[in-house]
Amino acid sequence: MAATAPQLSWQFGLLDPSSASRPAPTLVPPPPPVEPGAALAQVRATLEASVAARVRSGAELLRRAANNTEQLARIPTTLEAFDTLLGGGLERGKLLELVSRRAAGRFSIAMAALASSTSVGESAALIDLGDHFDPRLAEENGVDLRRLLWVRPRTVKEAVMSAELIVATGFQLVVIDLGLHPIKSRRAPDAAWVRLARTAETSRTAMLVSSPYPVTGTASEAVVKGSSGRAKWRRGLLIGVEMTLTLEKHRHMKPGGRSVVKLFVPEAPDVVGSQLSVLCGASVSGDAPQTTDNRQPTTRRGASR
Amino acid sequence: MTRIACLYVPMFALAARLRSEPELLNEAVAIVEGSGNSAHVVAATRRARTKGIRPGLSLAQARSILPKLIARGRDTECERTAQEALFEVSETFSPRVEDAGDGVVYVDIAGMTRHFENELDLARSAMRAADGVGLPARVGIAASKLAARVAAELPKSPVIVDAGHESDFLAPLPLTRLSPQIDAASTLRRWGLTSIGQLANLPEAEVAARLGDLGRELHYAARGIDPRPLIPRPMPPDFREGMDLEWPLVALEPFLFIANSALDRLSARMEMQGFACKRLELTMNLDPDGYAARAIELPAPTRDVKTMLTLLRLDLEKAAPGAPVTGFTIIAHPDRPRRAQLSLFGPAALSPEKLATTVARLVALLGEDRVGMALATDGHLPERFGIADYAPAPPPDKRLEPKKSRGLLAVRVFRPPMPVEVFLNGSEIASVKGEGDVCGAVRTYSGPWRVESDWWTEAPAAREYWDVELDGGTVYRVYQSESSEWFVDARYE
Repeated sequence: MAATAPQLSWQFGLLDPSSASRPAPTLVPPPPPVEPGAALAQVRATLEASVAARVRSGAELLRRAANNTEQLARIPTTLEAFDTLLGGGLERGKLLELVSRRAAGRFSIAMAALASSTSVGESAALIDLGDHFDPRLAEENGVDLRRLLWVRPRTVKEAVMSAELIVATGFQLVVIDLGLHPIKSRRAPDAAWVRLARTAETSRTAMLVSSPYPVTGTASEAVVKGSSGRAKWRRGLLIGVEMTLTLEKHRHMKPGGRSVVKLFVPEAPDVVGSQLSVLCGASVSGDAPQTTDNRQPTTRRGASR
Repeated sequence: MTRIACLYVPMFALAARLRSEPELLNEAVAIVEGSGNSAHVVAATRRARTKGIRPGLSLAQARSILPKLIARGRDTECERTAQEALFEVSETFSPRVEDAGDGVVYVDIAGMTRHFENELDLARSAMRAADGVGLPARVGIAASKLAARVAAELPKSPVIVDAGHESDFLAPLPLTRLSPQIDAASTLRRWGLTSIGQLANLPEAEVAARLGDLGRELHYAARGIDPRPLIPRPMPPDFREGMDLEWPLVALEPFLFIANSALDRLSARMEMQGFACKRLELTMNLDPDGYAARAIELPAPTRDVKTMLTLLRLDLEKAAPGAPVTGFTIIAHPDRPRRAQLSLFGPAALSPEKLATTVARLVALLGEDRVGMALATDGHLPERFGIADYAPAPPPDKRLEPKKSRGLLAVRVFRPPMPVEVFLNGSEIASVKGEGDVCGAVRTYSGPWRVESDWWTEAPAAREYWDVELDGGTVYRVYQSESSEWFVDARYE
């Protein structure tokens, strides 16, 4: 459209500076005169006592500002063991690969990252290759579904293409879950992951690729491998799992670090009903034949043991 | 005081055709009306005119002069969409626009001069805007529609006629500028009148006595009097682009090539009005007769041509029209693009337009039910879920602290549940055999938990669930259906 912008002069006809008889308009009354020494005391007095006590020097303020910037550079999953391993969480603009074939915990870490990101009001996307996402359980885990874009591709190629589109849009966190072993369809070429990592860097999107085996090659900033999954049972019920994470590769940290992530079934310590009733909202029949106490089913050792 | 601008596109049939086929711009092209022996040239490009092609020549005569002449028939669909485009350009200058057809629109510009330096500046802006949609328009501004039209038809454009000087402006111009009817024109010629001013100087009553009402109207026009008011047209509810094809198309790619340029034009027109497309309708004329129509709902209002073209492609691949296509019309239903207030201190919000385009492209790539916002639906069966259009809530005004994780164990749901074989040792579950890693001896298990759902429907579900840890350390959720079949429906992960 080539229309010329309207001149502004006609809008301000009332404020004619050439008219000497008209006083200059004043919108705010002039502040009362303050002596230089009293000014600081006045400002300090207006601050809350707690804040004023904390502000001791400019260096301290700068240090805090730097810390804040550093914190903003990462998305913490708030799973302490995992965040410690990576120096604070998922780094913005970087691609992290989480690899684990059998051990439990991979999907839980992805959920924790999504919950953390969406709970602060950021937009996140889950690219769910295996169609494994359960919205109700995710909500239970703290994921704000209103801020989560759920994408269900059928192949790795579709997953990578979708991720590239989403990352370029400006989502703050993108999780690609490649499902279970074996991954559906062929692998995506290494170049696709490199391109994706570059796009993430440009738009400062934190990317988490959860895969049963390494796929991203050199594109990833860090690779964390999960192993030694171990289920915990108490009073006949599954109460959680333990997973050992190993930092296999990191561009700026020494690899080899280990930590153990403990995950629990909701309300597991006080199992009154079955976890299924919590997980699925299921109607549990009251006369389960193999229960020993109030609706609690028995646990049996398998015949193979 | 009334001031009317007239936008006039000379050789409109040709201009409309060249707008749809810009690659012909530098070729020797003639627009032909009629068929067979009666086909005659109505307009020709400059290159053809320099070779001697003139309106009125038969097609055979034109071809004998210039054998390589490209002849195109008049395309009503092209002309209609070009007229729409001209109308929309005019609407960006004033809300009161009259559509006079065949490349002519009248715009009421009274009070618009404060947005421009003067009327000449406005006229030049209008010409540039029309040029932007591929139409070389001329502009005339006067106090009446007639004077504005005559001013716009002059070759040197723009022409501004000062208020009250219409008769002075018209006086030296030839009488043909008033486009009198053939009978009246020949009579006036016999009287020896050649200019409009000569007619205006005759007594009105004498002219009316000899030529009737037609003569009176002509005399009024010659004096610059035009009592016809400007009748503005209401805004159209949709945007259309289309074309009659020279030969039937049977393949998808050539059709998409042409559709792409139509979508380009649609997108530009919608952008000019501040709209985005929410629904696309495609009507294809088929050979020898009949038509195929389809509608495509876009997940979010967008103006992204690539997205719309991909959706069009997918739809056509899914259901081909089944016959050669001889013409098409694309109708875009407009909607306001999404707007959002961005936060200064909180997390960065997504650009609504960018997001709409991304979602539309994802839908085009994956399918409608595979992209959106997950919904936690009520029910007892674990595989239940819902999906809705993705419309994220605006981010908070300030950055919040992330909620401390509860460290909960997530469940990876299998959709659909995977059928497995479960081997029992007496009443004990001994081993499970399924696809992939779902295979092995059972280390520990617990259950059953009975789930009954939808017993009030025709497809009730009654299942017994077990948590089963295999010897690899992986815990699966297994259930036995009413028909005693076993399935794995989730893995604790």
